[in-house]
Amino acid sequence: MATTVRTLPTERGRGGRSWYPVVAILLLVLGVGIYGYLQELSEGMVATGLRNLGPQGGATWGLYISFVIYFVGLSFAGISIAALIRLARLDTLRPIARMAEVLTVICLMLAAMTIVADLGQPLRGIVNLFRYARPQSPFFGTFTMVISGYLFASMVYLYLEGRRDAAVRAAQGAPYARFLRVWAAGYADTEAERERHRRTSFWLSVAIVPMLVTAHSTLGFVFGLQVGRPGWYSALQAPAFVMLAGVSGLGMLIVLAAIARRTLRLPERLGPGLFRSLGLFLFLLLLAYLYFVAVELLTNVYTGSVREREVMAELLGGGYAWLYWSAIAGFVASVALLLGWLVLARLRGSLWPLVVAGLLVNLGAVAKRFLIVVPSQTNGQLLPYSEGSYAPAWTEYAVVAGLLALGALLFLGFAKVFPIIPLPDHKDAARREP
Amino acid sequence: MTRYGMVIDLDRCMGCRACMEACKVENSTPPASFFMYVFRLEEGEYPSARVSFLPRPCMHCDNAPCVKVCPVGARYKREDGIVATDWDRCIGCRYCEVACPYGVNTFNWMDPRENAYLDWDDEDVAAVSGGAVPPYRNPALDEPYGPEQRRIAGGGHVRGVMEKCTFCVHRVEDGLDPACVQTCPVRALTFGDLDDPGSAVSRALAGRHGFRLLEEVGTEPRVHYVGGAPPGPEAREVEEPVAEV
Amino acid sequence: MNARRFLVWSMILIGFGLQALAYLALAAPLGTPTDVSFSEPRMPFAALVFIVGVGMVFAAAIVYELLPDRWLRRRKPQR
Repeated sequence: MATTVRTLPTERGRGGRSWYPVVAILLLVLGVGIYGYLQELSEGMVATGLRNLGPQGGATWGLYISFVIYFVGLSFAGISIAALIRLARLDTLRPIARMAEVLTVICLMLAAMTIVADLGQPLRGIVNLFRYARPQSPFFGTFTMVISGYLFASMVYLYLEGRRDAAVRAAQGAPYARFLRVWAAGYADTEAERERHRRTSFWLSVAIVPMLVTAHSTLGFVFGLQVGRPGWYSALQAPAFVMLAGVSGLGMLIVLAAIARRTLRLPERLGPGLFRSLGLFLFLLLLAYLYFVAVELLTNVYTGSVREREVMAELLGGGYAWLYWSAIAGFVASVALLLGWLVLARLRGSLWPLVVAGLLVNLGAVAKRFLIVVPSQTNGQLLPYSEGSYAPAWTEYAVVAGLLALGALLFLGFAKVFPIIPLPDHKDAARREP
Repeated sequence: MTRYGMVIDLDRCMGCRACMEACKVENSTPPASFFMYVFRLEEGEYPSARVSFLPRPCMHCDNAPCVKVCPVGARYKREDGIVATDWDRCIGCRYCEVACPYGVNTFNWMDPRENAYLDWDDEDVAAVSGGAVPPYRNPALDEPYGPEQRRIAGGGHVRGVMEKCTFCVHRVEDGLDPACVQTCPVRALTFGDLDDPGSAVSRALAGRHGFRLLEEVGTEPRVHYVGGAPPGPEAREVEEPVAEV
Repeated sequence: MNARRFLVWSMILIGFGLQALAYLALAAPLGTPTDVSFSEPRMPFAALVFIVGVGMVFAAAIVYELLPDRWLRRRKPQR
């Protein structure tokens, strides 16, 4: 180990000139978010734009629930990358494995916080969920499997996967050495330890992959099992949730990897092979998701119950049409960008098409989550209530922005303390030497 | 075991909404929150438009979606059939509200003490109300009920929790009828034990063709309608409610 | 079957056992709700038991990797 200390790069953010202004802006946004939530706590949920369905003509689940689904969806990225590396032996993806896991952990924490922000009685909610949670409620799966199980499993995976790098960095005399040594917990980089780690990460991947499907399906069931909500009641909800989770997660990962490549100046480690794999996966998942969109569209346009057709009409040509068609346009544009990037050698010289596609699918995912949650409440009443309306209030925008800023701050904070790209290990060194 | 249900005679209902008023006074519900709601519907276009009225309390379903989805069991089905909400346990997730096909749930968006119909501190109002703030709130609403002894009666208790029609459980346990049933000037509403052939509801249903709302959805509602037909797909509300919290 | 593997398998099996126990026997029963028992857990904090079970299964991975050989060797008689 001693001889490699001098030659190993740090793979860590250097905290250059752009660091402090970015962190300052994020802290400011976080402050606004905290202020918004305090307003909600003091006034009550009336501070939001949410209102009761039916006679009050509002939507009772809105921006917060949309972002809960979005955050859980983003967490797809981490474990799918880890599984692809360990189970499908796709070693080209190794450099972004840790970034993906950190994204998963952060997003699941944000999802839990967004749920709490949406509760009318948040403290009671936290205690009563542990005390009284009922398996019959689809929320049980979200609470126990997703927020608790999936999050804990991902943290275990991240922890174990990072031990070697923690030991190396501590030995190199990096800052926060004490924290790194605690993380490393006496990692010795012997063959026996490496073998044990190989085995645990293989079996952890095997164990977490079913959770990936159950986590996103459970969230889909929260909506898909509601027979009284036209537009929600569908067997397609659970699989479509899983698909869009994959699309948004991979898209975000591409954006983060491109940023890391630029700021860390690592063109060889975050190279074209890696981005080609990511781009290809995103392309395939996006096509699969668009298939779901097409099936839903054709089914509801061909025929359907009166109420379901009303919801669809609102989406296609009514008050939500601008959002719906923008999202679809974003997805279709991403398909075109990805296809072009994968096929045309000229485009492959730059990462811009990939990054734009990654951003577009994320914006589209947020829009689609909103479009799943809200129109079925304002326009999907089985009884002849008047049409409702919902527009988020500033508190909701503030809290969501604050949560996004918190996520970015946590990510940047992690990258400052710990290598966000795994340090090259003996296998990489062997590959580099002639 | 008693099986409580309600029968609503649409032939008699004239849309006066006295039941909505009585329910509001009895249960102290906050503004914009209506446990009992009466649709005023019209179908068709002038000159062949038809007007109809549809009182819609909570259906207290036998296969209640709201009970199934409540994550903490605050919404539960009593043995006598009443679907109740324990406002001590409710966490305000509003899942029951989105799950209900009938839209009967309301949420306390703000502190009910600050959400009154009148500003009781206003000197003009105080002159009339004699300083009582608010003039009337039934103390029975804060008591526990049922063999489970849970606090389930009335509305406007604490912010951040769900509530809905309780079939006036605090009155029913004393042998009285719900407030809406008692108040209806044309006796369109009847309440009682569906299993008792001599009860008011059984007699109201006897020999009459009835229906229940949204039966095809499978919720098994306990509220039966006689003397009319379910609202058609073209039915629309006569006025658009602008209920503001 | 060395001590490390035994400990890890025990944790995994106990973890799954706790999950099954909590889901099927301790939390609120499944089925069409006809009375209050369908909305009450048979033991309070049954959900916490479930989550502890999930946690145990994954914590077994940490035990497998981190358990120092010294602790295991001390069990064996000195040769």
